Amino acid sequence: MTVTAAPGVRPTPAVPARAAQATARPRDLTAVVRGRRLIVCTGSGGVGKTTTAAALALGAARRGRRTVVLTIDPARRLAQSLGLRALDNSPRPVRGVEGLHAMQLDMKRTFDDVVERYAPDPARAARIRSNRFYEQLSSSLAGTQEYMAMEKLHGLHVAGEWDCIVVDTPPTRHALDFLDAPRRLTDFLEGRLLKVFLAPGLAAGKTLGRAVGLGTGLFMRAASRITGSQVLDDLGGFFQAFEGMYDGFKRRAQSVYGLLQEPGSAFVVIAGPEVPALREARFFLRRLQHEGMPTAGVVVNRTTPPPDPALAGLDRGAVAAAAARLDGGVAERTTAQLLRLHLDRVDVVAREQRTIAAALRGLDPPALVQVPLMDSDIHDLGGLAAVGRYLYQDG
Amino acid sequence: MESTRLWEPRVLIVTGKGGVGKSSVAAALALAAVRRGRGRPGRTCLVEIEGRQTFSRMFDTRPWDFTEREFRPGLFGMSIDPEASLSEYLDLFYGARRLSKLVVGSTMVDFATTAAPGLKDVLLVGKVKEMERRRDPDGRFHYDRIILDAPPTGRIVNFLRAPEATTELVNVGPVRQQAQTVVDMLLDGRRTHLQLVTLLEEMPIAETVDSVHALRSLGVTVGPVVVNRVMPARFDEEGAATLADGLGPTQVAGMVGRGGLALDPAAAAALRETGLRHLRRLALQERMRRELAARVDLPTLELPYVAGDDFGHRELSVLADAILRATDPGR
Repeated sequence: MTVTAAPGVRPTPAVPARAAQATARPRDLTAVVRGRRLIVCTGSGGVGKTTTAAALALGAARRGRRTVVLTIDPARRLAQSLGLRALDNSPRPVRGVEGLHAMQLDMKRTFDDVVERYAPDPARAARIRSNRFYEQLSSSLAGTQEYMAMEKLHGLHVAGEWDCIVVDTPPTRHALDFLDAPRRLTDFLEGRLLKVFLAPGLAAGKTLGRAVGLGTGLFMRAASRITGSQVLDDLGGFFQAFEGMYDGFKRRAQSVYGLLQEPGSAFVVIAGPEVPALREARFFLRRLQHEGMPTAGVVVNRTTPPPDPALAGLDRGAVAAAAARLDGGVAERTTAQLLRLHLDRVDVVAREQRTIAAALRGLDPPALVQVPLMDSDIHDLGGLAAVGRYLYQDG
Repeated sequence: MESTRLWEPRVLIVTGKGGVGKSSVAAALALAAVRRGRGRPGRTCLVEIEGRQTFSRMFDTRPWDFTEREFRPGLFGMSIDPEASLSEYLDLFYGARRLSKLVVGSTMVDFATTAAPGLKDVLLVGKVKEMERRRDPDGRFHYDRIILDAPPTGRIVNFLRAPEATTELVNVGPVRQQAQTVVDMLLDGRRTHLQLVTLLEEMPIAETVDSVHALRSLGVTVGPVVVNRVMPARFDEEGAATLADGLGPTQVAGMVGRGGLALDPAAAAALRETGLRHLRRLALQERMRRELAARVDLPTLELPYVAGDDFGHRELSVLADAILRATDPGR
């Protein structure tokens, strides 16, 4: 059963649930929007990452910090909620909020920009861009989106004009992919495969064949059986065109990885109150711990708010018994349903809090914020501000 | 197209926006398919492709892998991974044992999937196609139904486009042939439906509308839309009307008193508000239902919200029954 926060009711301070209040952690993300320079929002799909990222950025900007929010979500709804017709690959000011900018990652454009900027000469850049394999790599290869998010982040960081950069991570099958993808791509770029293709002609098959324990002929035969020989040519051309640029890719990926580990950065792990999203959040929290990444807290969106305190003292058995006795006319019937509805809500709240507590057991994130289910989706700055009231105190 | 046409094709590819319960719906569809087939021998296979072990947890079985295992009578499950698919594919087409051994070390898979991005997806769907075409010695299809828990809507277009992209990139050879037969299966509405899952909420509906267009422009057939987690009305019509105007806090306190429970005025008002909130939520849901109907020309199949600490067999069973009530009304 889903229950809405009553409209017009001033939200209780962040973390309304009793279970969460019992622990002695700071309740919200006020310190994060006040002081962190890089905020990374992560979590599984459909949990409200983009909205949370935008609300955090709004909070930072309202504190007078020059802020940019980078979204990966291709849906235009964030743009709408920020009052922008569309977002593109560079920061655009958000009208009505001093210092707030928004942008949306365009994977292909970012890759093109990277090639443009780091290729030794324009002819080489053109050669890369016209390669068929590059076409595929830059628009669809798994991992490219995460890698380009990293490149963009690097670009924003070195530009030095932002007090706060907020980024929501791509909707990968695992939130963890965001941390792995750049390393995977650089491993790939500097791996055996690359060396093979940098060697001209048949030597390629020989080297790679040796690497996997086969003769040249057999390897090349196997490879072209699987992919066709045209593909091998494209791939070879791609690698050769990229020669000399690999170190730069690797350096930037390492630099961003280092940046993420700095204490000025903050990971915010986002979930919904359902088991799968919370399970994913738990995995991610443990992974962050393992990688030495600064975890700022957990946001659980769309929780069911607890029943009105006026109903808190009611005894469960007495309520159920009263409901069972009422089966007269429409007024009695309706009242009995009211009582049952109340009991259901008590159950839902208890179940959600149990699930949240179980997911976080032993992990002790610095902050835990629950944002109750709102009456409708977030359409505008007002909606983001309403979410913000749960995430941080007025600044 | 009526929701009874859900079962027309033998392959159902289930997708939806993240968080709408796509995997639960896929599992419930599989259960429903098996129940539907009761009384005659038949097989349904539920297929997972991202190795997340969602289903082995839901059904409380041992971890799933590339082996198709019967975990309930008539219901099989397997988890496809690209390496095993490539290995099997090479074996099948070349009897190339040396090659498959090589493939077990993942260098070759890395190589192949990097050289032809999308090949991984071709291999995954290619395995589904192999299962769909497989026949028993008596000539009948081995599986009556195959349910694939596919990537979410954000990635489904690339996933389904991979075979065709591969045919564009690779113009000769067995991979091209394999990709072509996969394309043939995907584009044949008698063999394959895309099954969208949504919620009666704004963002999932908006994404469903976009996906229907994107999927149709790929040429695939989109089946009835499964609407998950529909909140049931708790008051009958008369009751809802009474609550909205006749039954004030004082009356609520009076009625509860008749049931033998004393409520103070604040509690009575809060209890009444709980009911009004429920009605507001229902009204919102109804608006969303109309919006979906106005923007998508497909029948819908609604599944109730089912509560449970851990989504398991009991909850899936309720959903499977709801599916069958809609698709097989005379049953």
